[in-house]
Amino acid sequence: MLRATGVSQSFGGERVFDDLSVEVDAGEVLGVIGPSGVGKTTLLRTLALSLEPDEGTVALDGTDAWAAEESDRLALRRRVGMVFQEASLFDASVRRNVEYGLRVRSAWSDRIAAAVGLAETPDAVHESLDVVGLADKASQHAASLSGGEAQRVSFARALAYDPDVLLLDEPTSDLDPRNTAVIEDAIAEARDRDIGVVVATHDMHQAERVADRVAVLLDDGITEVGSTERIFEDPSDERTRKFISGELVY
Amino acid sequence: MPLEPVAQSLSAVFGAPEAHDLSLFFNLSLLLDFSLFRDLSLFLDLPLFLDLPFREGYVRSIIYVSLYVSVTAVTLSTLFSVPVAVLVGFSEFPGKRFVKSVVNTGMGFPSVVVGLLVLFAVSNQGPLGSLELVFTREAMIMSQFVLATPPITAITLAAVSGVDDGVRDAARALGGTRLDVALVVLKEARYGIATAILAGFGRAVSEVGSVLIVGGNITSADGISKTRTLTTAIQLEARQGQYETAMVLGAVLVALVLTVNAVVVHFGDEGVTR
Repeated sequence: MLRATGVSQSFGGERVFDDLSVEVDAGEVLGVIGPSGVGKTTLLRTLALSLEPDEGTVALDGTDAWAAEESDRLALRRRVGMVFQEASLFDASVRRNVEYGLRVRSAWSDRIAAAVGLAETPDAVHESLDVVGLADKASQHAASLSGGEAQRVSFARALAYDPDVLLLDEPTSDLDPRNTAVIEDAIAEARDRDIGVVVATHDMHQAERVADRVAVLLDDGITEVGSTERIFEDPSDERTRKFISGELVY
Repeated sequence: MPLEPVAQSLSAVFGAPEAHDLSLFFNLSLLLDFSLFRDLSLFLDLPLFLDLPFREGYVRSIIYVSLYVSVTAVTLSTLFSVPVAVLVGFSEFPGKRFVKSVVNTGMGFPSVVVGLLVLFAVSNQGPLGSLELVFTREAMIMSQFVLATPPITAITLAAVSGVDDGVRDAARALGGTRLDVALVVLKEARYGIATAILAGFGRAVSEVGSVLIVGGNITSADGISKTRTLTTAIQLEARQGQYETAMVLGAVLVALVLTVNAVVVHFGDEGVTR
């Protein structure tokens, strides 16, 4: 469904990754593991169509996003959701945060009606909050939430508009075990909804728990992609094996 | 000139005036100053406003002119400044720091110089001479626009630039267009923008020098303000020794600023709960 082929990215003349290819299908969870600073976030932003690659293509269902017209690219971008490491909630209620993605996709008349409080809250908002166990917090202000709750709202915000692909950038790196478990359950729920999920994480145990396939991203790009079981039990690449066993220290 | 000592000296020379001795006051008012008449009447403990030579509606017309000029200037300035600040805040271009420096410098620009420049612009020989704007409210609006624009732009720019990049990223990742992202940033920066507008309003409504130069501090023959504002009226009244009137007008000015501030804060607080 979402496929990056031969993509390269650089910032300030410095290459982040080169000739990298990765894909995720509907109803699949792809874990991208690798040490901090190796370019996982840049890869996810590239997949989210927020960053144009220096080289290569990013295609959704065969449509090359960066070869398409801007309006078509916006339509493609709106089929992809992303959750960042920081929740970055808007200065508004939980409900307003979660319905944002739905509102930007609706007509201006509906948006104005919602802004002045004349529109009903879409069912998808309650359903998404229910997935992350925060249905009772809809009316609270985002600033009143704990860090874990804020990240769960951030997940619900991306889930509410039913994306085809969901990209998660270190979604539980700052969370306690309970909130981590809620997010991991929500990832499973997204997969059950036939959403393709990409989880970038430096927590290999988490990748082992949630991912169907794993891509290992090291300094020189993706060293290996395969089923989670094979990557963790029988990696074919020597650098992957060293990274997973902890011998490759960053 | 302080007139109470003068009145006391007169009463010492002529003896304490009797309330019925109106001819004395009439002569004094002709000989000395019309405003002295008011001070002498105060000397007799007459009610403060009873004998002011203001026609009915004088103070009201001053408040109206002040509000009309300042609100119009600040509204126009906001419509100009906020988009400019968002544009500058959102984009990277060579000379951005220079633009910021120019805007910040504008905050300290002397108001009398602004008044002088606007007066030149609207004078007969100026580029806007054909519009015949000298000593009009429109010219006052122009000068207040020039004065209010730098603080509104600079503070809005600071507020917009201070919005967390993560919020912009989130708005975009959730499917927002550039306009959607800009609207989110404006909403996040709303307190800063409200402060910017208040600062602009504060500068405009409390301004004396430029509105005096371009407006002329004019009242009509019936005492109703044409281009007289609260500040220029306070300046005039104080210069004429009408300190009580000046104080009343000053209190009205402070009350106006406080009211506008309270309204903005109230709506800002309401917005948070949505």
